[in-house]
Amino acid sequence: MALADPSLPIAVIQTAQAVTVLVAAPGVGGVIARVEARLQGRRGPRVLQPYYDLAKLFAKESLAPRHASWVFLVAPLAALTCYLTVPLLIPVLTTFPLPLGYMGDILGGGFILSLAGFSVAVAAAESGGPYAQLGSSRAKTFSAITEPVVLFVVLVVAVVTTTDLPYAMAATLRSSVTQIVRPAHLLAAAALFLVILAETSRIPVETHTGTNEFGMIDEARGFEHSGPHFAALRWGSAMKQLILYTLLINVFLAPWGLAQQATLGSVALAIVALLTKACLVGVGVTLIDNSFAKLRLFKITEFVAAAFVLAVLAVLTLYLGGG
Amino acid sequence: MGPAPAPGLFAGVANVIAVVVLLIEFGMLRTALLRDQLRLYAAQSFVVSALAAVVAATHALPELYALAGLSFVLKVVIVPWVVVRLMRGTSEDIAGSSTLGVASAALVSIAVAGFGFLAVGALHLPSDVLPTTALSIAVAVVLVSFVLMVVRRDVVSQAIGFFSLENGVSLASLVVAASLPLIFEVAFLFDLLIAVVVFGVLMRVHHRRSESLSTNALTRLRG
Repeated sequence: MALADPSLPIAVIQTAQAVTVLVAAPGVGGVIARVEARLQGRRGPRVLQPYYDLAKLFAKESLAPRHASWVFLVAPLAALTCYLTVPLLIPVLTTFPLPLGYMGDILGGGFILSLAGFSVAVAAAESGGPYAQLGSSRAKTFSAITEPVVLFVVLVVAVVTTTDLPYAMAATLRSSVTQIVRPAHLLAAAALFLVILAETSRIPVETHTGTNEFGMIDEARGFEHSGPHFAALRWGSAMKQLILYTLLINVFLAPWGLAQQATLGSVALAIVALLTKACLVGVGVTLIDNSFAKLRLFKITEFVAAAFVLAVLAVLTLYLGGG
Repeated sequence: MGPAPAPGLFAGVANVIAVVVLLIEFGMLRTALLRDQLRLYAAQSFVVSALAAVVAATHALPELYALAGLSFVLKVVIVPWVVVRLMRGTSEDIAGSSTLGVASAALVSIAVAGFGFLAVGALHLPSDVLPTTALSIAVAVVLVSFVLMVVRRDVVSQAIGFFSLENGVSLASLVVAASLPLIFEVAFLFDLLIAVVVFGVLMRVHHRRSESLSTNALTRLRG
């Protein structure tokens, strides 16, 4: 190496994890929207369009329904805070665990994500708007039925690594190719992918383009918000998408390309690698988006049942079958 | 305590192939169109034949090539073709409504498959060709195909459930008795041929009598 690679303090890397997710999330969403438009034969919005949207919303005034309490205004910021906390717990940039990574395991991250969803749902209920309430109650119902799938995926991680730290799972996968091809890992990754499709309101479950229709779930929750608070909600859901993709990529699908030392060059490379991989996952998701039809609301249980089958089979082959 | 050791690369891949067979069986629970179900059956048979070919290549068991070829010709080409021929006269495309919803049927099948895993796990049947996990999965395939046959109310789905049960049995026989003499394996396939003929006659007769493939009409036969 001709150039010296300056080393970074751990605290900086720790902050960089949250900042990367915060800054890049709308951009990843923009890339996905662009690719999706291309696949449908449209020109599509600019990749940077989500940033312009956020800037526009931040410049507008914020209105609240007359009888809404303070919860209505605090909730988007609370959700954003939750989404800033989760990247500290999961492997975003480094292969080695960072100090705050031990603050919580996979379940801890899941709890914080559900806290964010809960606060948005409470705000939607607070608004009194029928669509927002319908969306929040549906979102809670469906996240309740996807919860068992997530629990079984966590169980797979626990049985494979004897811990439930995401860093340990990624390290196990890197250790040997036999850990990658074992059916439990592939099934758990597939189940998690299906859950992510549901949680990021993608096609078999929901159209995410924000048109008013009766099938709305997640998109309906922010109907009554406006201005900076709505921007916080939008930004939060973009971050949630990137966090879930990161969890899928860096723990299950491809935990390679992360920084192995605390140096500037390797961390910068890790950021680029992460965003590239997230965009690739996004392209995969848009392919699914464009090739399947939306399920009827009462057929969503079938979709979740498929994910549940995958997750349970993962545990069965691992724990009872010895695979 | 370190991470749980994984079985070897070959065992892992073989297990994944076996899991694909089981997942296709679960997929059959969901399909509503008879032709889709038949396609899934052909795909499942293809996967089983491919596994036989892989075992033949890796374990120097040349007679398994013959078995793989035979089962490919029979189960991927001939059986689906015969069933399509039989269905052509009936002008029915949609499977009879099942007694359970898809999600409930999937949950029941998971419970049944779990029982299969538990039962085989208690038996301790080591095999020198394929990992025991594949045997558990094969038994789960057999049990889930029972659920498919019990839940569906039309002759074609029940027949395909029975054929896919045979796929599970071939998978199990690959694990426990890969070096079985070829003549026995061929005898199993011959069994399948007889089943096809029997089910074909059943479909024809049933359709001629009740003008449908649904087995609901059979309940009216009570004296």
